[in-house]
Amino acid sequence: MEIKLPHLGDGIDSAVVLSVLVSPGDMVTKDQTILELETDKAVAPIPCPAAGKVIAIHVKSGDTVSMGTLVLSIEGDSASSTATAPVASAQAAVAPVSVSSAPTPTPSTGPLGSYTFESASGAEPPASPSIRKMSQLFGLDLRRIRGTGNGGRITTPDVQAHLSHLQFVAFQVPATTPAIAAPTKPATPALPDFSKFGSIEIQPITSLRKKIGQKMSDAWTTVPHVTQFDEADITQLMALRKKYVPEYEKKGIKLSVTVLLLKAVVDALKKFPIFNSTYDEANGQMIMKNYFNFGIAVDTDNGLIVPVIRNVDQKSLETLSADLSTIAEKARTRQVSLEDLQGSSFTISNLGSLGVGPFTPIVNTPEVAILGLSKGVTKPVVIDGKIEIRTLLPLSLSYDHRIIDGADGARFTREIIAGIEQFNEEYLKGN
Amino acid sequence: MSTHSVDLVVIGAGPGGYAAAFVAATHGLTVALVDSDTNLGGVCLNRGCIPSKALLHLAKLIREAESASHHGVTFGKPKIDLDQIRTWKTSIIDKLSGGVAHLAKKRNVTVLNGRGLFQSSTTLRVDSPNGQSYVTFKHAIIAAGSRPALPSAFDLGSHRVMTSTEALELADIPARLLVIGGGYIGMELGTVYSALGSKVSVVEAQSSILSGADPDLIRPVVKFSQTHFESVWTSTKVQSMQSDGKTVKVTLANETKTWEENFDRVLVSVGRSPNSQNLGLENTKVQLDDRGYIKVNSNLATDDPSIYAIGDIIGGLMLAHKASKEARIAVDNIVGDPTRFENPIIPAVVFTDPEVAWAGLTETEAKAKGIAIKVSKFPWGASGRALTFDRTDGLTKLILEPGTDRILGVGIVGVGAGELIAEGALAIEMGATAADLGEVIHAHPTLSETLMEAAEVYYGTSAHG
Repeated sequence: MEIKLPHLGDGIDSAVVLSVLVSPGDMVTKDQTILELETDKAVAPIPCPAAGKVIAIHVKSGDTVSMGTLVLSIEGDSASSTATAPVASAQAAVAPVSVSSAPTPTPSTGPLGSYTFESASGAEPPASPSIRKMSQLFGLDLRRIRGTGNGGRITTPDVQAHLSHLQFVAFQVPATTPAIAAPTKPATPALPDFSKFGSIEIQPITSLRKKIGQKMSDAWTTVPHVTQFDEADITQLMALRKKYVPEYEKKGIKLSVTVLLLKAVVDALKKFPIFNSTYDEANGQMIMKNYFNFGIAVDTDNGLIVPVIRNVDQKSLETLSADLSTIAEKARTRQVSLEDLQGSSFTISNLGSLGVGPFTPIVNTPEVAILGLSKGVTKPVVIDGKIEIRTLLPLSLSYDHRIIDGADGARFTREIIAGIEQFNEEYLKGN
Repeated sequence: MSTHSVDLVVIGAGPGGYAAAFVAATHGLTVALVDSDTNLGGVCLNRGCIPSKALLHLAKLIREAESASHHGVTFGKPKIDLDQIRTWKTSIIDKLSGGVAHLAKKRNVTVLNGRGLFQSSTTLRVDSPNGQSYVTFKHAIIAAGSRPALPSAFDLGSHRVMTSTEALELADIPARLLVIGGGYIGMELGTVYSALGSKVSVVEAQSSILSGADPDLIRPVVKFSQTHFESVWTSTKVQSMQSDGKTVKVTLANETKTWEENFDRVLVSVGRSPNSQNLGLENTKVQLDDRGYIKVNSNLATDDPSIYAIGDIIGGLMLAHKASKEARIAVDNIVGDPTRFENPIIPAVVFTDPEVAWAGLTETEAKAKGIAIKVSKFPWGASGRALTFDRTDGLTKLILEPGTDRILGVGIVGVGAGELIAEGALAIEMGATAADLGEVIHAHPTLSETLMEAAEVYYGTSAHG
């Protein structure tokens, strides 16, 4: 049985093999992770769609692969004979796409990025009708393509060179984006020989760990972080939850405080849309997002992953509860697909279950803000001159000071707290 | 009552509509084509381009036979058999219309004869003498075309006042014919009736006939009409018209005087109006502009996402080949290829004697828009081919972009200009330069050489210019 790569997720055409976790002769079980792939979005484990013995491995670390690439041949356990991987949309039965480990062709002409066609008569760039139609279908702006034909006419090879150039540039992004390139990283000094001081043990780290490390240091060096701490009184929220728990239980839904918090936060985000944006420093602009997709930081055996709940603003508490359980289950069973990891516009990191206080979360770039939730603590609080016992939830909001100032950070924090403390009961009814 | 469920319904079986239906069918869509005329092909085929060109062919034969006497060949006076001409003309229409019906059948396009009325954005009712049927559709393309405008002041309810539709029926050869409107339709039909023996007068409100075209291209046509027509009154308006016995009395006025003339028939050719009424568009989200044309975007989609519109009904140049191209763009978009109708090069041909044709930018347009151009002309007096049939009253010119020598426009007047313009359109569409055109070998002796020569004149290397 041949195992081919499934659909990797919308907008992901290819990925690079980071590591192959099985060897020929290994027995694999269904859903066992066989590969780790790296895209510009994340590292994703690829589970095996069927159990059996590995006969051959067709890819190696560093290969560029895409949907339909043949990755593994296994034998045995022929009960499941179709090569469908459960990750993502499970449509792996397509013609194999050739594995390419060759480097992306570099454009033969010089830098094209700044070229723009201009004509005194206002005419469009000279190009044949078929090339103009092609440009419409590909969404290419012919004015950005330098024509080499007679009278500057754009020829088919000109379009090909331009496309190669675009692809080249696209794959060069980490090296050319000033935001990342600017702080020149000092060379890592050589490590001392620790064995001189006592016994040591070398342990390899996973590629997911490497990816997390790289991402965190990129975010840390690029984003000037500010973290705003505060506390929200969740006594009332917990009482509300308690009131509705039986009603939700009847439908088999576990109503958590977290789910209520998602709703309160998304309402605050709508009032402060800059916290749901991306700072496009290269082009000197902000990208405001009209969708509210929350990344939910999840702790797994292999390290941190951040699956996404989409359209939080449009979903009922019932749906959000179901989404949260699905994410948790997928993370536990290593079934999170690349698609599940894409498209968040704001991230929440909840360490409450671990019983700790405030912390300084790192912004999940290219987002601009992240909200950390800690353990709710019962405390005496002075209300109207009287001491009352209330439950307070520590909030830690980190944000990108390049585009968000401290006052807005404070206002947004207050808005979240207000949403939590005066939680809209309609959300609980309207499911 | 029957109901059809299709991917695409096309309303109007003219050159836009039938092209849309057939192209969509080749893409695998199920298609219904609705037209109230049992003869498919629309105005162009039944009441426009095709019958007028058949009659213009006869006009040309008559003129050439006359002029042959200057070259030593003399024919007798031609005998005109109107019945036979009509039969011949009808046979051409039948052949082409039958061809369209045959192609529809071959491509499994369902043809529904009847008037299409939108009930909603997904349903069309078709009213026919045999009853009603309904078509539910995913997409619709409106290609219902246009009809000759007949202002109420000219509509005397008399058969003596004709539009192009009646003029092409050729009921008789009026002794005196007045053509109101010196646009291409009036000038073409005037040419026909004049050759058949009518004394033709043209009245035009603008200062020139065929206004809008470059003056140097019009000049030979003006000269022809001055020679062969009884009168050409420019800057003149028709004040009123009334029936007067077996004639029509027309009051004409220009800046200096007002006078009356009697004509046996009057042809009103003052423009065309879109057939956008009575389509049930109020039951859709389709919007019209203030002149009744359907509003579309560059993908030819209307304000109703499931409905596209093409051809005369969206305005612009009311030409069959524009509609046919738009048909392809609309179908492209429906099948998911987002092509656009942008900066199109639409050749225009006036089938007068001589023919006038242009494509791309004209001198008139460049002047109006303040676009700097260079113009290179090759008069046909130096064309050996033109001399061989004694028609040196032609001119070929290139409109060029200074600096790049790119061909932005081509204008031609002369015998066969309508055929010659194709090379001009190709040159513009390909982004060719004058040098490209000059480098291409053109067969000798042909009129196509005039395009090459015009390019060579520009570089001062012409052998004959």
